[in-house]
Amino acid sequence: MDLLALIPWAIGMAVVGAIVFGLLGLVSGTDETATIAPITLLVILLGVPPVGVFAFFMAAISAKHITHAIPTTLLGIPGDTLAAPLLRDAQLLRELGVPHIALRKAISGGVIAALIAVPVAVLFAWILTPFSDAITAVAPWLFLAAAAAIAVLSKGRWAALVALVPFVLLVVGLQAFATEALGKGLSIAFFLGIATGPLIADLFLALSPSGRAGMRRDAPRTFELAADSRTWSGRMPNPLQVLDARQAASTAGAAVVSSATFVFSPVAMTVLMGETFAGRIKNGYRRLTSMMAIKNGTTESTYIAETLIPLIAIGLPLSPMAAGPANPLFNAPPVYTIDAEAGTSNNLHDLLEPWQFLVFGLLAVIIAVLMTYPFAMTQAHRAASWIMRKVSHEAVIGAFAGLIAVICLYEGGLIALLVAITVGLVGGILNKLFQMHTGVQFMGYYVAVLTVPAITALLG
Amino acid sequence: MSEQSRLLEVWGDTVDSRHLVWSIVLGVGLGAPTYLLAAWAFGQLEVDPGLQRSYALLAGIAACIVAAVIAARLFAPKRIVEIGQETAGSRDEAMDRIEAEIGPLGDPDELPARLVAEVKALGLYDDLAAQHRRRTEAARAEGV
Repeated sequence: MDLLALIPWAIGMAVVGAIVFGLLGLVSGTDETATIAPITLLVILLGVPPVGVFAFFMAAISAKHITHAIPTTLLGIPGDTLAAPLLRDAQLLRELGVPHIALRKAISGGVIAALIAVPVAVLFAWILTPFSDAITAVAPWLFLAAAAAIAVLSKGRWAALVALVPFVLLVVGLQAFATEALGKGLSIAFFLGIATGPLIADLFLALSPSGRAGMRRDAPRTFELAADSRTWSGRMPNPLQVLDARQAASTAGAAVVSSATFVFSPVAMTVLMGETFAGRIKNGYRRLTSMMAIKNGTTESTYIAETLIPLIAIGLPLSPMAAGPANPLFNAPPVYTIDAEAGTSNNLHDLLEPWQFLVFGLLAVIIAVLMTYPFAMTQAHRAASWIMRKVSHEAVIGAFAGLIAVICLYEGGLIALLVAITVGLVGGILNKLFQMHTGVQFMGYYVAVLTVPAITALLG
Repeated sequence: MSEQSRLLEVWGDTVDSRHLVWSIVLGVGLGAPTYLLAAWAFGQLEVDPGLQRSYALLAGIAACIVAAVIAARLFAPKRIVEIGQETAGSRDEAMDRIEAEIGPLGDPDELPARLVAEVKALGLYDDLAAQHRRRTEAARAEGV
C-alpha cells in the first residue's frame, strides 16, 4: 500500500483506539493485559493493515493511561493495574480537598512523558538493544538496593526496612503456593492486595468489636473541596503551565530513564521513578503533586518504550509489556507469527519501517492526547464535586470489593483471591502500624520475584 | 446501645456500618457470579478461547459498576462537603492526618512562584501557612 493510503488507516484506527480505551480507562479495574491484548488481537484478526494496528495500539495505551487517572484520583479506586502505585498519593491529595489538582498533575505528566517517550524509545532501540542482557542481569540487585533505600527513607525508617524481610518471605511463600496450585505465578493479585491493604485492614478491624470501637464516629467527616482554578491560559490546557518547571523536568527525566530500562516491569518502574525523582522533596504539597505527575508519566513512558524497543530492534516479545498487553503485535497467528526455534518472525517488526514507528507512533499519541486531555482537564473540578456530593463511600468500597473478587477470579480463581486478601491484610497492618507504605511493599514484591531467585541461585 | 452511632471511619471517610455491609454484599454478590457465569457461557459459544475470559472479565466489571450505581442510589454519602469556602480551620483535621502519614506539608512560601499561585487560587495558601506555623511553634515548644 502506498503512503497516502496508509495515513487514513493510521488516523482512523488511532481515533478508534483512543475512544475505546479512553472510555475503558474510566472503568476502574480494567487491567491492561486483560483488555488491550484481546481487543488488539481482534483488530489484527479483522484484517486491519499493520499501520492501522500499530496506530490503534499506541493510541489505546496512551489514552487509557490518561483517563485511568480519573477514577484513581476522584474516587480512590485504581483505574487499572498501573494506577495502583498512584493510589496512596491520590488519596492524600483527595483528603486535602484537591482531587482535581491530583488529576490535572497526573494527566499533564502523562502527556509530557508520552510525547517524549516515542522519539526516545526509537533512539534507544538502536543504542540499547545490545545491552539488554546486561540490564536484565543487574535487575535483581538494583531492585534489592532500591527496596532498601525506599524503606529507610519512608516514615517507618528502620522498622520498614526490617519488616521487608517477613513481607518478602510472605510473598515468596504465597507465590510458591500459587505456582504449585495453578501452574503459574500471580501478579495482579499481589498488586491489588498491596494497593488495597489499608482498606482490607480497616474492614477486618471493623469486624472486631474492639477495632470497631476505635473507628466509631459521631458525625460525618467534613471534606473541603478547594475552589476550581485554571492554571493555564487560553482554551487549550498546556501541561507545561500546569506543572512547575521542576515537576515538568523530573517527569521528562523519569520518562527518559524508564524508556531506557525497557526490560523492567512497568509497575516497578512507576514506584521507582516516583521515589527517585520526588521522594526527597521536603515540602509535602510539592512532593505529593510531583509524585502524581512523575508516576503517571512513567505509566505512559514504560508502556510506549517497552512496546517500541522490542518491536523495532528485536521482533521478539522481550519486555514485560511485549509479553503482556503488546503480545498480539508480535504474535497473532495466523496473521503475525514468530518461529521461536528459528528465531524468525513475521510481525510488525518486519512489516513496518523504523521511521514509520516514529511517525505513526507520534501521530497516534498526539491523537489520543487531543481526544482525552482537554476534556479531563476542564471537567476535573465539576466531576470531583459531583462525586463527592452524590457517590457514597459505601458504594465505592462495595464496587471495589466486587472488582477485587472479579479480577482475582480472572487471574487465578479462588487462590488469587485468597492471596490478595492475605497480602492486603498483612500489608495493611504493616502500613498502619509501621508506616511501611505501599511503595515499599511493591518493591518488596519485586525483591521476592527477582532478587530472591538470584540469591538462591548464588547460594545453590 | 441502640442509640450508638453506626458511623465508622473506613479508609479515610465515614460510612454507615450496615450500608457498608450491604454495599459489599452487592458488589461481590453481583460481580463474582456474573464473571463465573459469563466465563461458562462464553465457553459454550464459539468464541475464540483467547477472548472468552476477557469478555467474561468485562461482564464481571460491568456487574460491579451496576452494583455501585445501585448502592449509590440506595445509600447517600455520609460526608459534609464544603466547596471553595474560606472557613478557616475546617482543613486542620485533614492536614494533621496527612502530616501524621507523610511528614510536614511544609511552608507554602518556599514553593516556586507557580505553585504559590496555584495554592492561592485553590484557597489552600492560608491553611498551609497556618499549619506550618502551628508545626514550627509545636517544635519550638518541645525544644524548650
